[in-house]
Amino acid sequence: MRPFPFLSALCVASISLSAPHTKAAALERAPVAATSAKATTSAVNDLQASQKNIVRVSVTSQSYDFSRPWSKRAPTTRRAIGAVLPGGRVLVTAECVANANYIELESPDGNHKEPASIECVDYEADLALLKPDSSAFLEGQPGVGFEGARIGDSLSVLQLEANGQVQSSSGKVTTAEVTRYPIDDSSFLVCRLSVPLQMRDSMLSLPVLKGGKLAGLMLRYDSQSSLLDFIPAIVIEHFLKDAKNTPYEGFPRMGCSFSLTRDPQLRRYLGLNGNNGGVLISQILRGGPAEKAGLLKGDVLLEIEGNPIDSDGNYKDADYGRVSLGHLVSTKHFEGQKVKVKVWREGKTLDLEVPVARRKPQQYLSEPYIIDRAPQYFVLGGLVLQELSRQYLKEFGADWSRKAPMELVQVDRIQSELPEDGIKRVVVLTRVLPSDVTVGYEDLRNLLVTAINGMPLTCLADVPKAMAKATDGLHRIELKGDPSLIFLDATAAEANGQALQRAYGLPALSRLE
Amino acid sequence: MHNRSLPPLLLLGIAAFASLAGLPAAHSAEPSPVRKSLARISNTAQEPNYKQPWLPGFTGSSSGTGWVVSKDRILTNAHVVSNARFLTLEKENDPKKYIAEVEHVAHDCDLAVLKVQDPTFFTGTVPLELGSIPDIETEVSVYGYPIGGERLSVTRGVVSRIDFRPYAHSGIDSHLTIQIDAAINPGNSGGPVLQKGKVVGVAFQGFSGDVAQNVGYMIPTPVIRRFLEDIKDGTYDRYMDLSLSMFNTLNPAMRRGLGLPNDDRGVFVSSVASAGVCNGHVKPGDVILAIDSLPVASDGTVELEGERVQMAEVAERKFRGDSIRLVLWRDRAQTEVTVPLSHAWPFTMQSNQFDVLPAYVLYGGLLFQPLSRNLLSSVQFQNPRLSYMFEAFVPRELYKDHPEVIVLSAILADPINTYLSEFKDGVLEEVNGTPVRTLADVAEAFAKPADFHVLKFIGNGRPLVLERSVVDSASERIRTRYGVRKEQLLETAAR
Repeated sequence: MRPFPFLSALCVASISLSAPHTKAAALERAPVAATSAKATTSAVNDLQASQKNIVRVSVTSQSYDFSRPWSKRAPTTRRAIGAVLPGGRVLVTAECVANANYIELESPDGNHKEPASIECVDYEADLALLKPDSSAFLEGQPGVGFEGARIGDSLSVLQLEANGQVQSSSGKVTTAEVTRYPIDDSSFLVCRLSVPLQMRDSMLSLPVLKGGKLAGLMLRYDSQSSLLDFIPAIVIEHFLKDAKNTPYEGFPRMGCSFSLTRDPQLRRYLGLNGNNGGVLISQILRGGPAEKAGLLKGDVLLEIEGNPIDSDGNYKDADYGRVSLGHLVSTKHFEGQKVKVKVWREGKTLDLEVPVARRKPQQYLSEPYIIDRAPQYFVLGGLVLQELSRQYLKEFGADWSRKAPMELVQVDRIQSELPEDGIKRVVVLTRVLPSDVTVGYEDLRNLLVTAINGMPLTCLADVPKAMAKATDGLHRIELKGDPSLIFLDATAAEANGQALQRAYGLPALSRLE
Repeated sequence: MHNRSLPPLLLLGIAAFASLAGLPAAHSAEPSPVRKSLARISNTAQEPNYKQPWLPGFTGSSSGTGWVVSKDRILTNAHVVSNARFLTLEKENDPKKYIAEVEHVAHDCDLAVLKVQDPTFFTGTVPLELGSIPDIETEVSVYGYPIGGERLSVTRGVVSRIDFRPYAHSGIDSHLTIQIDAAINPGNSGGPVLQKGKVVGVAFQGFSGDVAQNVGYMIPTPVIRRFLEDIKDGTYDRYMDLSLSMFNTLNPAMRRGLGLPNDDRGVFVSSVASAGVCNGHVKPGDVILAIDSLPVASDGTVELEGERVQMAEVAERKFRGDSIRLVLWRDRAQTEVTVPLSHAWPFTMQSNQFDVLPAYVLYGGLLFQPLSRNLLSSVQFQNPRLSYMFEAFVPRELYKDHPEVIVLSAILADPINTYLSEFKDGVLEEVNGTPVRTLADVAEAFAKPADFHVLKFIGNGRPLVLERSVVDSASERIRTRYGVRKEQLLETAAR
C-alpha cells in the first residue's frame, strides 16, 4: 500500500469541477460598485488592518498509518497564516491543524513565538479556532471583523515575506457556488477570486480581506488558472457562532439527496406542468431529519423557508444570486432548527418541517474521515482486525476507488443503500501477521468478518466479547468470501500474544477507543 | 476453476507484420516428414465494434502455425483463427494458397481444428503422432513460422516446468501447461513441439522480454487429446468445472474445528455456485477428502500419473455426461456423492468472446449492452459499480438476479436525451416496474405500448423517463444522424 496522507490532496491546491448535484448556476452579477479610486483605498485599508491582525502558524502533525494501525507516520510541518479575531483567538483552515502534535504561533516578524491549542475545529467546514497558551501573545492585536464579499468585489490576499513584510495581492470575486470542501461528502459555499499569486513560504490558509475586514480564508489555489477558492465569511461566522456552544454541533443537513428536474419528459411524467421549479427527492437517509419530517422519496421539493427552488436545485440568495439550496439549509440554519419546506406529492402541495441535523462521521457505516483519532485495531492470534473506513481505503493511494479491494470499496460506496441490520461498523480482517497459530492463513487479507464464535459483529468492540465464547478451545471466525470460515486455537492465540508483539514490534495487541 | 487474475501473457500470433526483403534459401534436401506436415496460417479477422455495435467492425490480419493432426485435419490455436473472415494455409515448398475453414474451436483451451477446401493439400503430408507429457529437463524442438523470416523456423530447449496455469486467450480458464525454454515468438502459435518425432505440445503463449526471459508455454497432450475426444461427436461441449470455491485445511485448529483427523487430507468448501454442477450435491462447509478415489491433500492437490496437480485437473479430463465421485466429510462423518457433469459453466460474461456479434438495444439514442469482458475492454466506464458487478458476478452470485448485467453504455446525443447524461454507465434494474434480467427483457419492455417508459437504475433514486411519442418522433433522426443500420441485435450467435 502506498502512503496517502490526508493532506496531500490539499497541498496541490486544485480547483475541482462541481459535482452533478451542485451544478454551477448562472450567477446574477451584483453591480460592481467599487470604482478604481475606492478599490485603491480599500487595498490600503487591507494592508493597514493586516499588519495587526495576522500571525504565522506552524503546525507539526503526525497522522496514523491505517494499514499499520499501531504506528504513526513521520511527523511533517505545515505553515500557514492565521487571522487574529477579537477575543485573542486565531482562525485558520482545519486542514492546517489536522492530526496536529504541536502548534506554534509566530509574530509576523518572527520575533515572538507562542504555543497554541485547538479550541474548536470543524473538518467538514475546514475551519479551526486556535487559542495561544498565553493571552499576552496577541496583545496589541485587536482582531479583525467580517465583511461578506459579493461577486465583482475587489479583495486582497495576504502573504508574509520572511522579514515580516506583508504582501498583498488583489483580485476580483468571479463566482460563488456550493461545491466540494476537502473532506469527501462536504460541500458549502465557495467564492472564487481571480488573482495572480506568487506562493510564498506559508501557503495554507491565507486571509482574504475586503476593506480591512476578513472576507474569507483561502481553501485552495490553482496556479495555472490563477484562481483562488476561499471559504466566505458567512460560513466562518456560522462556525464561530456555533463554536460558542459546547458541544460544537456543526453545519446541519436535511438528510436527503435530490435530482434535477430540467428534463421536460421527467416533468411531464411527474405531472409538474404548472410551474418550472422543484427538485426530485431521490434518496432519504435512514433515521435522518428528512425521514423524521415525513419527506418521501419521489417528493418534489418546491420551497424552503418560502424560497422557491428551481429545477437545478438553486434558490435566489440575497447576497450571491442563484446558489444551491445546500447553502440555505446548512449555512443559514443551525442544528435542531426546524426548516419549513413545501413539497409536491401526488398532485398536491404539502408543508413539512425538517428538524435539520448534522450527520456525524460516527453515524456512517464506513466513517468518511478519521482525523485526530487513532485507528482501532485488534490482533487476534495474528489476524489483524480493523473497522472499515474511508481513511483505510485511502491507504491504497489516490486511485483507491479502483485499487482498494472491490468488496470494501463497494460497502463504503453503497452504505446508504444497505438494509438496516444493526451493524454499526464493518469489521475487516485486513491482514495476517504470520505465526505458527495462523499456518495456512498467511495470504488472507481484506475480508469482511461477519461473526466470531457464533456472535455477529456489530463493531470492533464486539470482538473481545465474542472471543469469550470460544468452544472446545477454538475460535470460530466467519468471513464473507473465500474462505467462509476459519478456526484459531484459542489458547495458542492467547499465548502467542507476547511473541507477536515482540516479533512485529507492536506496542499493544489492540486499541479499542 | 475460474481464474480471475492474469499475468501479462502474450499470445503468439503475428498481427500484420511487415516482411523483410530477402532471397529464398536454396534447399539441399527433401523436407523431413515433420516439415511436410506444417502449415503457415494467415487469418483475415474482423474484430467486433462494441462502441458502435451496428457497424461491421475492424479488419486486420495475423498469422500463426498449424500442423496435420489426422489425414484431413489441421490443428492450431484458437487465437490464431479467432474472428476469422478468410483463412489461408501455405505449405513449405508449395506456392499455392489453400483456403481453410474452422471446423471446431475451443476458446477455453485455445485449440482449433481446420478443414481445407482442396483435398490436394494433404498430398504428401503425414499426420504427426501425439506423445505423452515429456519429462522435466528433456529436450524439445519447436516448429513454426515466427517473426524474423518467411520460412520455417526450428528452435530447441528443455522442459522447464509442468504446472496448472491461466490460458490468456479466454482470460478466465486455467489448465495444465508446460513451460519450455526454447525461444518461442509471435507466429509460433499453434506450432507443434516435438520430442523423438512425436508431438508433446502446441506452442501458444509466453511473456514479453521485459517481463521474463526464455519462458514459453505449450499446451500439453492431455489437453489436446481431450479436445480431439470432445469433438468426436461433432460438437465441442467445453470443459467441465466443479464451480466450487475451496480453502486449505493446513491449520491444525481448522482441522480440529472441522473434526478432521490429523492426516493432512481434505479441502474445505467455502461456497458452491448455484449455477454449477455441484449444486445440490456438495454443500458449503463440506470437506472434500477424495475425488474419483484419489486422496485430496490439505492444500487441494492430488497425485495424478506421478505428478502432484490441482484437484481441478481431475474434472478437467472429464467430458459432459461423465460423472465424478467425491468423498465428503459432512457433519463429522464420511459420505460419498456422485456428481453428474451435466453442463459447462453457463455464464460467459467474464471470458473473452470470439466469433460473436455484440448484442445491443438502442432506444431514444440510449445504447444498452450486456456487461462483458469484451465490452469492458473496449469502453472506458466511469461507474465503479460496473467493475464490482463484473468481479462479484460469480462469487456473489449476481447472476441470480442479473443473468445479464445491462449497462447504458452510450448516449447518442439528441435533444430528447440531453438531460440524461447522469445515467450513462448505469446498470438498468427495472423498466416500467418489471425487473430487467436480460437484454431481451429490455427489448420486450420497449416494445410494449406505454405513454412513458420509466427506467430505474441501480443506486439512482431518479427514474429515467422516456415519453413514447417523443422517442418515436426522434428515432428516424437519430438513426440517420449516427448511421445506425439496425436498432437492436439480440442474437449474438456466430456469424
